[in-house]
Order: sequence, then C-alpha cells, then structure tokens
Amino acid sequence: MIPSDTEYRAMPDENWRSQLRKGWLELAILVTLWDGRLYGLEILRRLADLELIVAEGTIYPLLNRLRDDSLVRAEWEESNSGHPRKYYSLTAAGRRRTLSMAQESAGLIEQMRALLAPLLKEKQS
Amino acid sequence: MTVTAIDLQTRIDSYLMNLRRSLGELPPEEVNDILREIRGHILERAEAAGELSDEKLVAILKVLGKPEDIGPLYQAEAMVARARSSFSPALIFRTVMRWSMMSALGFLVFLVGLTGYSLGIGFLACSALKPIFPEHVGAWVGDGGFSMGFMDAASRTEILGWWIIPVGLVGGAVSIIATTRFLRWMLRFAPRVRRATA
Repeated sequence: MIPSDTEYRAMPDENWRSQLRKGWLELAILVTLWDGRLYGLEILRRLADLELIVAEGTIYPLLNRLRDDSLVRAEWEESNSGHPRKYYSLTAAGRRRTLSMAQESAGLIEQMRALLAPLLKEKQS
Repeated sequence: MTVTAIDLQTRIDSYLMNLRRSLGELPPEEVNDILREIRGHILERAEAAGELSDEKLVAILKVLGKPEDIGPLYQAEAMVARARSSFSPALIFRTVMRWSMMSALGFLVFLVGLTGYSLGIGFLACSALKPIFPEHVGAWVGDGGFSMGFMDAASRTEILGWWIIPVGLVGGAVSIIATTRFLRWMLRFAPRVRRATA
C-alpha cells in the first residue's frame, strides 16, 4: 500500500533516524569491545539484534575514526579461513570513554522514558 | 544458480573497485587497508552462506551497502583530519566548504574564509595590475571614503603611487596566511563525520 501524503509526513524523517542511530551505534560498538578484541564481522554479529545498523559497511569507517581518535587499536592477524582479519580492541582512553558514554546514555534513556511514558500510554488506551 | 569461484571473485572485485573509486584522495596504504578489510568481510560472509548462489552474494553486498555511500564516509573523516594538519589553503578551504553545508558555524567560518581570501587576492591583483594600468590602479581617497583597486580617478586622489606594489604583495600574503591559519584553527570544531553512518 502506498502511504498517503499525510502518512508520509507522519513518518520520522530519514535524516533524524540516522542521526539518532549514529550516536547509539558508536557507543554500541565500543560496548561490544568491552570484554575483549573482535573483528568487524564479529562486532556486527553481536549487534545483529539491534536495529542500529542499516548498511553493515558503515561500521568500518566508524571503526577507522575510533582508531584515529585513539579509542580503539587495530591489528591484523592471519586466520585459518585464508584471509587476514583486522581485530579491534579498546585502549585505556577507549575504556574510560565507553564508561562515561554508557553512564550518560543510561541517564538520558531514563529521562526520555519518563518524558515519553504519558504520551505512549495515551496512544495505547 | 550457483556461481563459480571466478564469478564470485569478479563480482567482489568490481564491488571493491567501485569502493576504491569513491574513497577519493586517501593515502594508498590506507586504501589497501580498507579494501583488505572489506574483502575479508565479504569472503567470510560468503563462506558462512554455505553453497553460494548469485542471489546470496547480491544479498551480502546489499546488506554491506553501496560502495558510493560507504567510500565517502572514510573520506569525510580523513579529509577533516588531514586538513587540520595541512597548510594548503586549497585543501583547507575545500574542507571548510563541505563543513559549510552541514552547519551554521561551518557556514560562518566559510564566509570569513571567503572574505579573507578575496581580500588577499584583491591585494595581490592590485600589485599585479599596477604596471599594466598605472593610471587606474591605486589606493584612492575622496568622496568621503578610501578604497583600493581599479577605478576612474576623476574625483579621487591616489595616495600610494608605486608603493601599492609592495603594499599589495605584503597585504595579500598576510591576508591569505592569516585566513588559512584561522580556518585551520576553526576546523577543530568541525564534525568528523559528514553524515550519518547508521
């Protein structure tokens, strides 16, 4: 079914959605690395259940930037599968950043949930 | 339909070639690094898919994203990073131009840059044009104002004479260098990502 004009307008703007996800995705990637090093595809598999990733390829430029910012380090390693894998792990600065991002996000989520609750309840009833 | 190893390779190669094209001006070792990582991703996804069909490979590449969309993400991040440590007015100004399309601050910085560089070019043009149009190029006083440049001298007085050549050269160099330094300094406030990565 093709949505009507008003329905189109009611849908969240694509740009807003991707901006929202972008911020979360960075934190989500850092969190997956908390317990140890992973390569790109492993990170993607950990995040598979989250609706954060639209195109898988976008995590690689993001990982590159995290490395440029010295939050993660990257190292190539040969694998049994025949092609080398690039493993990422958190640096000390990365661990500190992850923790403070996690705390700040958790606080925001609480506040947003409280703000949104009446509105969503109204919609249910 | 199943694909042979060669078909598979050709398809992956053409994806990577498109990616390489949209990576733009990154250093070669970084380009190799990026392509190696993405190739590994595709191969591993392909192996996990079991018997690989054409459809499966298309699906893998689709979920990965269009090379034209992913390439610029690397470029945008690297461009700001490189411009920050560069003294090239061209690279710095191009980066600021991109930034100006993203935010009000970027646009403001762009306007300052445009004014600064125009001023610098104006100064240099005065020096260059003075020998060609000695009667028309100068620093003019009159009509309640001051201006430098090219005009018909009817109601104004020229005050610099041939001194406009060294003044123009020094003024031009100072404007361009100062503008470049300012833009470079402002780039620390530029976002690292040109657009959403999710």
